[in-house]
Amino acid sequence: MNVSGPLFNLLVFLGVLVLAYVLFRPTKGWFWLVANSVKTNHKVITEDVLKQLYTLENQGEHILKKEVVNSLHYNDGTLERVIATMEENGLVEELGQGEIRLTALGRDYALKIVRVHRLWEKYLAEKTGFDKTEWHARAEKMEHQLSHEETNVLATELGNPIYDPHGDPIPSHSGEYADIDGAHLNDLPVDTVGKIVHIEDEPEVYYRQILAENIHIGSVIRVVENTDRRVLFYAEGEEFILAPEVARNLTIEVLETQEELEELAVRLSALGTGEKAEILGISKECRGDSRRRLLDLGFVKGTPIQIDLVSPLQNPKAYLVKGTTIALRDDQAAKILIKKM
Amino acid sequence: MKDSVEDIIELSNDLRWKMGGDFHDHITESIYADASEIVEATVTTDSRKGRNAVDVTIDRIVTSRKWGFPIMFLVLGVVLWLTIIGANYPSGLLAELLLDSIHPALKSGAASLHFPWWLSGFLIDGVYLALAWVIAVMLPPMAIFFPLFTLLEDFGYLPRVAFNLDNLFKKAGAHGKQALTMSMGFGCNAAGVVATRIIDSPRERLIAIITNNFSLCNGRWPTQILIATIFVGAVVPKALSGTAAVLSVIGIAVLGMAFMFTSSWLLSKTVLKGQVSTFNLELPPYRPPRFWKTLYTSLIDRTLIVLWRAIVFAAPAGAVIWLISNIMIGDHSIAYWMINSLDGFGWLIGLNGVILVAYIVAIPANEIVIPTVLMLTVLVTGMSGGEGAGVMFELDSANATGEILKAGGWTLLTAVNLMLFSLLHNPCSTTIYTIYRETKSAKWTAVATLMPLIMGFVVTFLVAQVWRLF
Amino acid sequence: MEKNVVSSACEVCPQYNPDGLKKLGVNVENTDYVVALAGNPNTGKSTVFNALTGLRQHTGNWPGKTVTRAEGAFGYNDKTYKLVDLPGTYSLLSTSEDEEVARNFILFGKPDVTVIVVDAGRLERNLNLVLQILEITDKAVLCLNLMDEAKRNHVEVNERALAKRLGVPVVAASARFNKGIPELIDVISQVATGKIACKPHRITNVPKHINDAVKKLSDQIKQRFPNVPNSRWIAFRLLDGDQRIIEALREGEFEL
Ligand SMILES: Nc1nc2c(ncn2[C@@H]2O[C@H](COP(=O)(O)OP(=O)(O)O)[C@@H](O)[C@H]2O)c(=O)[nH]1
Ligand SMILES: [Mg+2]
Repeated sequence: MNVSGPLFNLLVFLGVLVLAYVLFRPTKGWFWLVANSVKTNHKVITEDVLKQLYTLENQGEHILKKEVVNSLHYNDGTLERVIATMEENGLVEELGQGEIRLTALGRDYALKIVRVHRLWEKYLAEKTGFDKTEWHARAEKMEHQLSHEETNVLATELGNPIYDPHGDPIPSHSGEYADIDGAHLNDLPVDTVGKIVHIEDEPEVYYRQILAENIHIGSVIRVVENTDRRVLFYAEGEEFILAPEVARNLTIEVLETQEELEELAVRLSALGTGEKAEILGISKECRGDSRRRLLDLGFVKGTPIQIDLVSPLQNPKAYLVKGTTIALRDDQAAKILIKKM
Repeated sequence: MKDSVEDIIELSNDLRWKMGGDFHDHITESIYADASEIVEATVTTDSRKGRNAVDVTIDRIVTSRKWGFPIMFLVLGVVLWLTIIGANYPSGLLAELLLDSIHPALKSGAASLHFPWWLSGFLIDGVYLALAWVIAVMLPPMAIFFPLFTLLEDFGYLPRVAFNLDNLFKKAGAHGKQALTMSMGFGCNAAGVVATRIIDSPRERLIAIITNNFSLCNGRWPTQILIATIFVGAVVPKALSGTAAVLSVIGIAVLGMAFMFTSSWLLSKTVLKGQVSTFNLELPPYRPPRFWKTLYTSLIDRTLIVLWRAIVFAAPAGAVIWLISNIMIGDHSIAYWMINSLDGFGWLIGLNGVILVAYIVAIPANEIVIPTVLMLTVLVTGMSGGEGAGVMFELDSANATGEILKAGGWTLLTAVNLMLFSLLHNPCSTTIYTIYRETKSAKWTAVATLMPLIMGFVVTFLVAQVWRLF
Repeated sequence: MEKNVVSSACEVCPQYNPDGLKKLGVNVENTDYVVALAGNPNTGKSTVFNALTGLRQHTGNWPGKTVTRAEGAFGYNDKTYKLVDLPGTYSLLSTSEDEEVARNFILFGKPDVTVIVVDAGRLERNLNLVLQILEITDKAVLCLNLMDEAKRNHVEVNERALAKRLGVPVVAASARFNKGIPELIDVISQVATGKIACKPHRITNVPKHINDAVKKLSDQIKQRFPNVPNSRWIAFRLLDGDQRIIEALREGEFEL
């Protein structure tokens, strides 16, 4: 059996590793690519076209068929054929000069897909541990898979939510949906006080920047500086700086001045040893089981809180709440709002 | 009547939608509002005196930057030291009693009753001996380790350990309490797996269950120590041999922790990333442990139950070992054929067929690996010594054991790889069964079983190839 | 409710009959009454359980120790009682496995008495669970355990006032030193046999828009299931979208 030398063995092993990597690496592995291309069928393409048209129309634009074809990552010929079939089925109509738009039927269909997408993001946020950055991609897949009934069951289980975790309205089963009132952050004058009601998750580069800054939906903010180079604002006792094109992805509902009180709110993570504070609430960013557990443990409005112990590595810290010592990690503490006393 | 139920559900869905999403928040706030009114009216706290000063001071010290870690390592060190040193003596006694006195007595008893050779072989050399080994090796350390651990738990120190270490575990995507289930795994992996119940976050609990096997358990320490003494101790100057052996065993245990962290991290980033993850850790007040009660319950709860399960699994293993060494196919026993066919693969990963066969039959209980290896080595090399086909044995001196192993073709590489493989292979069947009971999932049980085994093959393979390059 | 409603803890103290207690260990067949032990983790439930049954359940100073349900029995004054040690939980509103076990037993197992073991030194946090249980059942006893520890930390609880506010008997205890256990047994037996009737506290500080919804729903539940004692709690759960309760409604588990 000792025919093969160790060097040869190692090379074979390396070869197997490389092969496995090429085949199975996440999302771009050949195996996944092949498996996915088998799955992308006529229905998926149709639905993606509908969604694209829906988004563009909502931005109030006139849409050329050419644009749609270019903006989707499918083979152009296939797309042309799919759009032609969609016209036959009365989902889209041609307006001449290459312009197309959704019919009432098409809009209805598009709303259903949007509904599944947003519900699924809500589901991922509330009932699973997937990272925020993964929600969108997973919902993109799921939106083609759930039937009408399954969607309704999901909605009931989630309590027929009105907004998805990014703050986008979820259409109801009859197609109604709430509006988001508000302006883009980069359009707001200095000293405006408002609440973040929506965080756009596309394009992903910008979204990742927003997440990295630890900006939370539901936070009350005050604009401090707004130039064409940067937007600076305060929220929850901290200072944030974004480039205008990133700030555009935050939608702010402007608040009346008497609501400014909330501005006193700071994050629990900013509490120092020896300081005393009172809990104001838990941020909307803290969801699902984590949120319920914190509430059960007594992290409710009005509860006095202070640091009891700091671990040798500085994180987590243990807080004294209603007579018990409970340790929380810093990233959780950042989602609890307090008022220092 | 059914309809009116549907009406109720319909109405609730409707009202729910109208109320918006914060129902749970509101309810909890209402309950706590009531609670604080009640407390206001019924509880008086002397705010000048406040919480007991001793408790506060202890907490400050055991979680301080300066003393937190030293105290922790000291405590763990003392517990392990007491376990390993303290177990030696009762283990020796038990071995003498069960193996050297009762075993021959049973044999001669069987002979005087005119048992056919195969019956007494099967029952006494197979089943009885496996049980005796497991009890002699396993019982004493467990009976020391678990009560000590339970006393610490009762006092309230363990949650502080979790608190101190959480940041490290967080980086690996795990929960600070895993520090404790891991330490518990040094006693017994099955007990470690049960202990993961204290982790209430689903993802972190699964991580702790799947990676518990990387804690070198009591059943594996003796193998490590014996092999290290024979082979590693021999390559350094005589004066240092004891130290070198101890260091290499500690090295293996530390390597196990490194594997635990790495695979925790990998699991949390891949297969487990969809599982819900939450964190909170309550630090309970210190309470003086009740010594005798603790001793009693930890003996019953942990030691005996774990031991019982091991016995249930070990007895059939003993039977199988005896059978494969005594049933002949052609000129040779089944064991011989198995060893032969696994020799090639064994060589590739720097081990040999005997070790692989021993690990296959010893899935139920790692304690019997060394006795089985010795018996099989004698069997295939045809050397004199040993107790006969299918009779597991161990020798009094490490030297004599070394002679047999070297005659079986063992080198330093074999020894190192055996130590690695003893750390990195599938959990014993008791643990596998426990994992299944705790997770109720065939999938996670399979992951927990196969992941370390594959890692073991890869690591020993790489070590063997690189070793041979030079 | 014609029977005497509890107004203080000590109405019941002196009647304890020490010869009446028989620890029956694991003989849980055919008992006259079923008693559930609920409470936050680490408040001494298992210690109380052991003191009553003479068994040796594992106790540990660690939140989250009892994970499965343990059962045991004791006899007192010619009656036998089955005691069920439930997993410790902070609440019954969430969806973890422990909470399901505890919640399902109190709701569907219909124990004759539910003993709620609380930590006297951390009453406020413990009341979260207590108030929820009192919404579900009206035969409950509050065991104010760890009195020794509370004293060490300079916390004092007025048991009478507490019993009055909660509407259930309150027994102060230090289960570890067997203090208060005789009184607890006696009160359990009196609640089980109906000698003491409880009038449990119901949650009051509910915001108006929620209270209206709850009222509307619970009225409809009451109409459909007139014998259900906890329609308000069922309404709470339905409004929180609790699938298990919806299923129970459909399966008719609330029909009496
Ligand atoms: N000082 C004191 N300790 C107690 C008392 N009752 C229970 N304990 C301790 O509290 C800890 C938790 O008890 P256990 O019965 O396991 O609580 P469970 O989690 O609610 O079942 C153990 O260490 C007990 O010894 C008491 O009345 N006084
Ligand atoms: Mg318990």
